[in-house]
This record gives sequence, C-alpha cells and structure tokens, in this order.
Amino acid sequence: MTGLAAEGAAPVLPGFPRPRARPRELGLLVAVLAALAIGSLSLGLLRTGRLEPADPLGLVLYAAGLLVAHVVLVVSGRRLDEVLLPAAAFLGGIGLLVMERLPQDLVVQEIGPLTLGLGDLQLLWLGVALAVATAIAVALRSDRWLRPYKYTWAAGGLALLALTFVFGSEVNGSRLTLQVGPFSGQPSEFLKVILVVFFAAYLAENRVLLADARVRLVGPITVPPLTYLAPIVAMLALALGIVVVQRDLGAALLFYAVFLGLLFLATGRLTDVVLGLLLFAAGFALLALIFPHVQQRIAVWLDPWADPLGDGYQLIQALHAFARGGLVGTGLGAGLPEIGGRLPIPAVHTDFPLAAIGEELGMTGVVAVLAAYLVIVGRGLRIAAAARDDFRALLAAGLALVVGVQAVIIAGGNLKLIPLTGITLPFVSYGGSSLLANAIVVGTLMALSDRGAAPPALPRPPRLARLRGSPRGPS
Amino acid sequence: MTPGRRPTARVPAVAVVLVLAFGILAAGSSYWQVIRADELVSSPTDAAVLVAARTVVRGKILDRDGRTLADSRRAKDGTPYRVYADPAVSHPVGYASALYGSAGLERAYTAELTGAGGSDPSSRLFAKFLPPADRGSDLQTALSLPLQRLAVRLLGDDRGAVVMLDPRSGEVLVLASTPVFDASGIGNPATAQERFEALREDEASPLLDRATLGRYVPGSVFKIVTAIAGLGSGSLSPATTFPEQPGAEEDGLVVSGFTIRDGHHAFTGDEELNLVAATEVSCNIWYALAGLDTGGANLDAFARRLGFGGPLPFDVPTAPSQLTNGGGPLPGGFLDEVELANAAYGQGEVLATPLQMALVAAAVANGGELMEPRLATALVDRQGRTTSVGPRSMGRILDASANAALVEAMTRAVEGDRGRLFTEGAKVPGVLTAGKSGTAEIGGAGEPHSWFIGFAPADAPTIAIAVIVERGGRGGERASPLAGRMLRAYFDAQP
Repeated sequence: MTGLAAEGAAPVLPGFPRPRARPRELGLLVAVLAALAIGSLSLGLLRTGRLEPADPLGLVLYAAGLLVAHVVLVVSGRRLDEVLLPAAAFLGGIGLLVMERLPQDLVVQEIGPLTLGLGDLQLLWLGVALAVATAIAVALRSDRWLRPYKYTWAAGGLALLALTFVFGSEVNGSRLTLQVGPFSGQPSEFLKVILVVFFAAYLAENRVLLADARVRLVGPITVPPLTYLAPIVAMLALALGIVVVQRDLGAALLFYAVFLGLLFLATGRLTDVVLGLLLFAAGFALLALIFPHVQQRIAVWLDPWADPLGDGYQLIQALHAFARGGLVGTGLGAGLPEIGGRLPIPAVHTDFPLAAIGEELGMTGVVAVLAAYLVIVGRGLRIAAAARDDFRALLAAGLALVVGVQAVIIAGGNLKLIPLTGITLPFVSYGGSSLLANAIVVGTLMALSDRGAAPPALPRPPRLARLRGSPRGPS
Repeated sequence: MTPGRRPTARVPAVAVVLVLAFGILAAGSSYWQVIRADELVSSPTDAAVLVAARTVVRGKILDRDGRTLADSRRAKDGTPYRVYADPAVSHPVGYASALYGSAGLERAYTAELTGAGGSDPSSRLFAKFLPPADRGSDLQTALSLPLQRLAVRLLGDDRGAVVMLDPRSGEVLVLASTPVFDASGIGNPATAQERFEALREDEASPLLDRATLGRYVPGSVFKIVTAIAGLGSGSLSPATTFPEQPGAEEDGLVVSGFTIRDGHHAFTGDEELNLVAATEVSCNIWYALAGLDTGGANLDAFARRLGFGGPLPFDVPTAPSQLTNGGGPLPGGFLDEVELANAAYGQGEVLATPLQMALVAAAVANGGELMEPRLATALVDRQGRTTSVGPRSMGRILDASANAALVEAMTRAVEGDRGRLFTEGAKVPGVLTAGKSGTAEIGGAGEPHSWFIGFAPADAPTIAIAVIVERGGRGGERASPLAGRMLRAYFDAQP
C-alpha cells in the first residue's frame, strides 16, 4: 500500500518525510479523551449539580495537546508504535482528573503574574512532558549519542544527584529536591533513565563475556569475572549509595530491580539473579540494622494498626480509602471525606494517587490503571523483542522495566503488599520531574519502535537514508 | 538458558514476571476493596464514619422491650449530641462525644448508628445515588433496662459485675459493672470536659467495664471448666472417685511438696466423693486430683473452646481470659503440677472475665453447646427496614449425656442439702436452680472475691448468670444471694 502511494501523484520532497496515517493511535486517543470527558462531566455534576465538565479549559487544552502530538507524529512519517502514547495519555489524564479533584491549594506556585494551583501545574507539566515525549519520538533516530558516551551520561547523572545532596532541600526528612528558581525537581527520577542507558550499553558490549567467562565461587556456583563486572557494579553501588543516604529507598529498590532484570536478559544466567536477590536480602537487612527509619517503615508495613494515629496513620487511611471505594467507587469528587478541612490521606497527590483512584473510581478504576501500565510494559517488551541489536533490545526492555517496576513498587506500597516507599506513580502522581522523566521513557521507547524501513540489509544503505529511515516500507 | 542466545529470546520470561506482579497488585486491590471492605468501611476509624459521627444525628439505642437507652438532642447551634437513659447501662451502651470519641455499643456501631455504613453491600452500591442520610439506623439490643438497673442497685457501693444471658440464643440481658458513670455528662458538649477528666482520674476507674474487661481470679466457679474438660476428654466420669481424697481432707493433699487444703471434712467424713458430691461441697482436693488426671493439654483445649485465650466474639471489646501466664514447660503452658492442681479449682494463675464465666454457665445450660454472646439483635433503618443479627454457635463443647451429669452436679450445688450451705441465697423459690459459688483468694489482706455462676430453670434453662463482687467475701455471702435476687426478678417479669 505504501509502495503504491510512493509511486503515486505526491512525490516526496527531498528532506521532507511523507506523512503516515496512525489510525490506531487516533482511535485510542479518541477513546481515552471520551473517558476523560465523562470523568470531567461526573466531577462537574457532583460539584455544581449541572451536567458540565469540571474544568473545561483544562480538558480542552489536554485534548489539544494530544491531538497536536498525534499530528506531529503523523507528519513525521516514522513507523512508530501507536499504543504507547494513548496508554500514557490515559494514565496522565486520570492523574489530571485526580489533581483537579483534590484541593487546589495543596501545591501553589507563582510563575510571573500567574498563580497556579495543583491541577493547573499538573496540566502545565503534562504539556511539557507531551512535547518532550513527542520531540524525542520524532527526533531520536540514532543511538550514536547514547551508546558511546555511556560513562559521560552516567557521570552527569550521578553529579546531578550529588548536587542535590549538597544543595538540595529537605522534604519529609529526605533530601530529594533540587531548587532552581521557581522550579524544584527530583534528579533521581532522571537518574533512572540514565542508569538504564548505561546498563544497556555496558551489558550489550560485555554480555558474552559476562555469561561465558565464569569464575567459580562455591562448588558449582559461578559468577562473572570481577574485572568485567566491576564497572557496572561500581556504578550501581554509587547510585544506590547516594539514594540510600538520601533516604530514597523506593529509587534504590527500582534501580536494583531494573539492574537484575537487565543482567538476566543480557546473560541468561539465573544463578546471577538468585545471587543478586540474596545480596539484596543481605543489603536490606544491613540497612534495617543501620537506619531506624528503615525499621520504622517495616514495622508500619507489618502492622500499621500498632500506631493508628502516628506512623501507621497514612497507610491505614489509604486502606480505608480503598475499602470505601469498593468495586465501582464513590464517583469522582464524592470520596476522600475531609475531617476538619483536611484530606484523610496526607501526601495523597504524590504518594497515594492510587488510593484516591481506588476510592473514587473503585477497584474497577485501579484495575484499569494497572492494565494501562501492563500495556505500556507489554509494548516496551515487544519493542525490545523486535530490536535490531542487543543495545536497543536491552534499552527498550530496561525502559519498560523502569515504568513497570516503579508502578509495582508504589502500588504495592499503597496496597500494603510491600513496605511503603515514597516514589511516584508514573504518569499519575503530581510532579514535574516524574512526568518529564517518564515522558523521556515513552518518547525513547517510541523512537526505538521504529525499526527503519527494511530489515538490516547488507550492504548498508547510504547514511542519509539510514538516519531518516527509507520511505519505502516492507508492506 | 544458553548464554549465547540474544537478549530478545529472554524477553518473554521478564514479561511473565511482570504480569505476575501486576496480577498480585490486582489481587491486593480486591482484598482491600472487596474482601476486607465491609469491615474497614464500618470501622470507627474510617474517615467517612468519623465525618458522619460529627454531622449525622445518631439513631437510638433501644433495650429488648423498646425502651430508649440512648437518644440524640441538638444543641442551640444545631450540632447533635447524645443523652442516655440511665447510668446503669453506661458500660454496655458507652458514650459518643465530639471531644472524647466513643465507647461501648456507641463505638462498635458508629457506622450503623450514623448511617455511614450501609446494612448490606448492595444497598451501599446504590447509596451513592441518594442524598446522604441525616439520621442513622436505630440499634435494637437484648439488654433489659430494669434488670440492668436492679443489678447496679444490688451491687451498691461495691465494685463488681453481673452478666445475664439467654443460653439458647446468646442474647445478653444484663452486662452491669460498678461503679457506673454518667454517660450523658460526656455526651453533652457543655459538660464533657469537666466530667470526662474527673472520670479519668477517679481511682475506682468507673470508665472500666468490669464485666468484659475485668480479669479476676475465678476460684471455685472455675471447677465447672475443669469438669467440662475432664468429662469432655474422657478423663473423668460422673462416677470417678479418688481413694486418697477422704484421707487428704484431714491434713491436706500434698502435690509436689505443696499442700492443698479443704474445709468440708465435717460434712463428708470418710465418704469418697464423686463428681456430683464433690461439686456440691466444692471439694478442692477432688478437683485438684481431677485436674491432674485430665492434664494441662485437655484443660487448655477445653478452656479455649469456651473462649479462654483470646478476645470473645462480642459486640464490644473483651479482655482475654487465661489459664496460665504461658510459657511453662508442661502441656497447656503450666509451670509444674502444683500450678495445674491449683488451676483446677480456679487458683494458680487463672484469670477470667465475668462474661467468660457467664459463658461457661451458658454452655452447660444449653446442653453443652455454646452460643456467641451478643448485645445487638437488630438494626432498624430510617425506612423502617430491619436487619436482624441472628444467633451464632461457638460450637458444641460437651455431648448431651456428659453435660447432664454436670447439670445435676450444679443443681445439687444449689438445691442439695450440703450445697445449700454454700449457695443458699441463689435459690429461686419455685424454680429449680443450678449453679456454683466461688471464693477467690487473691492474696494479701482483705476479703476474697465473691463469685457465683449458674442458670435456671435447671431442667429447661432460659437464663444463665455470672456475678462477681470484688472483695465481697465468700461466694455464699454476697454473690449467691445477689444472683438469687436477679434470677427472681427475671422470672417475676416473665409472663
């Protein structure tokens, strides 16, 4: 079909790609927007008693942003994944509805003459994130500036994190945020992306050595030779060290899980994964011995009801919120009863958006959100499985893992399945760094989904065509 | 697992792990949002319940004949507050205060009384389409206000508790504890602070519900538990006698160097006592030997089936009754045979709540099957729809024939020639009464605790009772006559 079109009346201008329709993406985006419009109407109905959207301007702006992104992708003419954007847009939209529903004064920021509340700020960041994701999806055509400079990227990421450590401001006892002018950010959100790039590049280069040149540890148990393992373990240890000292346990868990996943993908050695898990258990026990706040987290997880008005309060109230939601939820705006003008769950917009969704949209809403993550993870892994080379495969799988594992860690914490750690729910939680970092993930995954025009053929196509992708598809 | 294969070949394995992880998350969501939802949503700590408790007019709490025990008034500014019929019901009914939270039934049924928790899941599903309730459901209880008042009056200035329940259904008619307090004073915002602070500092701890939370040495009333364990495990029969028992009456029974004494030698002489006779004269030596024969494991197992060892299934919180302090090397957690022998007649480290001992009497009264005790019998919502709380069994403790022997023993303990010397006062004229008195030695100076548990009519019981008077002296002096007065009042009120 594309072949026919290429020979048709509209010749492609040199330097300009031919637009490529993305019907699947458009259909899914329309479905997502319809769902969000219904959510907004239900919130509006509850607030005013009239059937009108709660924040029509916000909804229109979000829809416009998504459609612009869609058009840009169409115009770019690349053969990019068509499901990732709608799935992320669904999660972002649910997050936007939740932020519009929560009291707007939870976060207030003055930018120039404007005073923006929680919902406005989230919309602003969603817009920036959408632009970033689209730009990366369209523009990222080569891994040349990722792969060779892996140490530079990693060093930069660690430097940023170290900067937070020195100049960062404390929020809830953790030094996680870096303040630049009116904006503050959490560099650990970006470090996760950089680490995946580094891990993927290093493992792609050394995976055969790591898998085959084994050193005997005990009896039949072998490990990769230390000289080949050292750079990656050093990098991991540095990243873990910094986030652990910063008390960002969720990020530490995420980094480690993603590392183990990539190590398994690269070497296929289950013993390495088991050893890694044992090391994890030992490290966790050590942390629990050293840091009282880790012990406290574990105690709250095991029995929040031991201190229902103190340490256990937040988690207990979250569980009550899930319970109040039941199967279908109270409806947007009808849950989260305020006691004395206060929300029942402290930090609901950053740490417990899933509890808010669980209460107002019910188990149905929670399962829908979880399913959306699985869709993103599934698409990411598909892209990995279809990748042309090991680096791209590991990069795509690592990015998919970052989203999936982070969602599991925070959702599991909210549902009292694992100890609670303060990381964000990707695409849903309030916060610019989180949205931007996850936008980079989605944008990169989309870029990686473009497998070029044809299967890698020998001899190689001319450089220009390879970079831009040939207009001729395999049909 | 060939390492040479490309990473892409292993992607499906990673996908499976992640799908499993998300499956577990969905299971976690259904656990909290469906399986545990009812319990969490009607808990007094739920935010929605707390909000409703401040704004919604609570429903009434009613006694078994429809008398109002708790009602709502509105202050001048429109905020609702609670008033209570009588301090005599203050412990089971509890209080609800905007300042000091809630207690008793007021706390346990906060969600229902304020209409926050629906009576069933389907009505809650549709409740979101209706305007919020401005008044909660009424709570129908099994309590009898006149009997409750009488119990408090008879206990007088003494500290103690009276529990009466219908052994056939578990309905609790009386759950009295003294000293009482004025719950209306806590409910009224104008007086709450002053009253509550005073009550909290009162060294008689009037806020403590002794009937459910007071743990007392039971003394001889615990012999019924030993008999149940012995008969139920087959270690004892109604005919069991101990040849060493009559001789030991004169100078005590020595168990591992510890001497157990008795005071009834004058009436029984050289007679070898069986179950009925030993119960009638409350023979410590016979029961110590019976306990040693039954063994710690059986005693522990049957005590647990009767409710010992944990909180009871009940509307309001209960303290766990115990056989031992736990941790001993012998089966059942006993330290040695001395502790086991002493526990068999209710000393040692045995502690029991009055409600727990009432359940022991109720189990025997109901032919060996124990019913769950309960205060609430029904909820009536604003539309007049009634949701009943049906009786629930805690299981059969003893088979009918073994139980019959125990009924006879307890009947003789009240009606028999020798038993009357101990429990004279419990006898109800014209009604065959069964029971057991107890005199709990608690060490130190002062009088022992005075106990009685029993039921009537012995041949077809409709009511079981437990009475304790702290430092009330011997069981026959204080608790037995008090129980007799309560039982008489109960039967006088029956048509």
